[in-house]
Amino acid sequence: MEGSINMSANGFLLAALFLFCFLGFSHGHIHFSSLPRSLEVTASPKPGQVLKAGVDKISVTWVLNGTVKSGSDSSYKTVEAKLCYAPVSQVDRAWRKTEDDLSKDKTCQFLIVGKPYNPANKTVQKFEWTVARDIPTGTFFVRAYAFNSAGEEVGYGQTSDNKKGTNLFQIKAITGRHISLDIASVCFSAFSVLSLSGFFLAGKRKTKKAEAPGQ
Amino acid sequence: MEVQGGAPAAQPRKFSLPVDSEHKSTKFNIFSVAAPHMRTFHLSWISFCACFVSSFAAAPLLPVIRDNLNLTDTDIGNAGIASVSGAVFARIMMGSACDLVGPRLASASLILITSPAVYLTSIASSPASFFLVRFFTGFSLATFVSTQFWMSSMFSSTVVGTANGVAGGWGNLGGGATQLIMPYVFAIIEQIGATKFTAWRIAFFIPAIFQTLSAFAVLMLGEDTPDGNFGELQKTGEKAKDKFSTVVYNGAKNYRGWILALTYGYCFGVELTIDNIIANYFYDRFNLNLHTAGIIAASFGLANLFSRPYGGILSDVVAKRYGMRGRLWALWLVQTLGGVFCVILGLVQSLSVSIAIMIIFSLFVQAACGLTFGVVPFISRRSLGVISGMTGAGGNVGSVLTQLIFFRGSRYSKEKGISLMGVMIIGCTLPILLIYFPQWGGMLTGPASSKIASEEEYYLSEWTPEERVKGYHLAALKFAQNSRTERGKSLSKGTADAASAAAASPHV
Repeated sequence: MEGSINMSANGFLLAALFLFCFLGFSHGHIHFSSLPRSLEVTASPKPGQVLKAGVDKISVTWVLNGTVKSGSDSSYKTVEAKLCYAPVSQVDRAWRKTEDDLSKDKTCQFLIVGKPYNPANKTVQKFEWTVARDIPTGTFFVRAYAFNSAGEEVGYGQTSDNKKGTNLFQIKAITGRHISLDIASVCFSAFSVLSLSGFFLAGKRKTKKAEAPGQ
Repeated sequence: MEVQGGAPAAQPRKFSLPVDSEHKSTKFNIFSVAAPHMRTFHLSWISFCACFVSSFAAAPLLPVIRDNLNLTDTDIGNAGIASVSGAVFARIMMGSACDLVGPRLASASLILITSPAVYLTSIASSPASFFLVRFFTGFSLATFVSTQFWMSSMFSSTVVGTANGVAGGWGNLGGGATQLIMPYVFAIIEQIGATKFTAWRIAFFIPAIFQTLSAFAVLMLGEDTPDGNFGELQKTGEKAKDKFSTVVYNGAKNYRGWILALTYGYCFGVELTIDNIIANYFYDRFNLNLHTAGIIAASFGLANLFSRPYGGILSDVVAKRYGMRGRLWALWLVQTLGGVFCVILGLVQSLSVSIAIMIIFSLFVQAACGLTFGVVPFISRRSLGVISGMTGAGGNVGSVLTQLIFFRGSRYSKEKGISLMGVMIIGCTLPILLIYFPQWGGMLTGPASSKIASEEEYYLSEWTPEERVKGYHLAALKFAQNSRTERGKSLSKGTADAASAAAASPHV
């Protein structure tokens, strides 16, 4: 169940990538610090903007960074843009912890979009995404990973700086509550308590009836 | 509302199981639902199980709830402690309530009053409201006390350990079952089309409705004693209405109740703590995913299906030969071994050995719970509810303490905390050596001479001479005679004749 919560959208893709990691090479542990910042990534939310889950849209763009040596992107096969937690949303929440070992890293848990990458196409790739309804309330930035054919991360880009402190935006989650649920909760609760007093009254009436003829 | 068994002594009631002079069953037949004994057994363990399911229903759904309500690790930890601390006070109150109004009304009332907390969990929207609903839902764990009191009222001393152990164990396994049930219910609701943050809310209606329905069943089908309900017995005068303050004082001044309250904190309390931390322990230390870690956590709670009942059965089996002294020795031995395995659990490095040690540890710790309640019914007759409540509450206090000392913040790694908790278990089990019954003895000393100590004296001393004149103690007298089995085989044979001669002396 836990797997389906975090990876429902990209479950198959990620599972396949993981499998490649394990089967392809003996060392599957890519470290984030070893990746070049080779992609230029932008996202439509302005710094400090608050987006509503399920309603608002995010536009993500990526393109190869102009300062990178040409030809270094020849191994890039797919690019995935992900929604990542800013440090302030990771405080006192061990399940969102940042680890350098990418197989253990929990910073970026939500896939925005994943597309194949064509090195010959030098234009900016742009995609739009409606914020999913299971995104929690928090402060986020966008990071894109480039994967090679073995499914390993070989490059990245992000909308924020290296300290993940600038250009952050916020998302407000849905409450998950509905009027019908609220009403049902209150009604069932009231019913439980009232039925208890009902039992008591019925019991008292019965013992009164039993007493009366005796007296 | 209750027709069976309430008829006055005009027609003696027929029981489908063999009974003693108090009409308590001397046999425990799990597959029967005959009224009153076995039916109340099934009613009480099922309703208690429902409360456990509700109290720990949040745990397996935390990955979803923590994102929906924006919880931090501190919020989650606090809510976990809250879920077991409400019951400390509630268990003590439940004990007195059972003594005064009977377990049927006491437990059904508590279950119905706390079910709104479970329904309202569906509309929780912040860390504070989450804390509150877990706190109030946890009050329902006080039904443990009514379950034990009820079994002690329905089953004779030869099988009371077994009855208490099975009822307690099968109720406790709700804490393990919920780790499997709630994720499935959640997944089904999600399949039907709800989003995650709505699906978990709807899922909570299942344990809530289960709780409400079980309370109805208890009210409509249950009976307080084999002779009927407290209300009717009090009206016909067969049972005297007792005074709250006297019952509480009588229970509180019995030191044995306090010792068991302490030691129960280091079997049941430890069990509750493990319920809260073990999934995270396996997840962090061995890098399992939460689903696998949850299954391991569930298996710890599900071991209650047989390990706690086994403790109760062991208590009764040992008592046949060695009486109360045997019960005490078995309890001390099993609980100390539980502590030893707890120390080992924190020290092992490999996953498979860890799981094996955890299972062995769960068997010993849960059997110790069953063994404890093989001793509790004999500590007091008048204040059975208060003693049961104190012991039960002590269990929850132990859980609060161990979570606060060893598993909060980052002072100890989880594995170090587990080992240190094992050391604390061994230390806090030693006071059992101090329990001494004049008529039966203790762990280290035999009974006092039967001329100056007898079961009758022990139990009748709970009543003042004025109360004895009024005949309030007569029920206790029957219990005292039936409890002579606690002398064990070798001793009871010799004194049986002398004892029956003493018993033949007329009642006041």
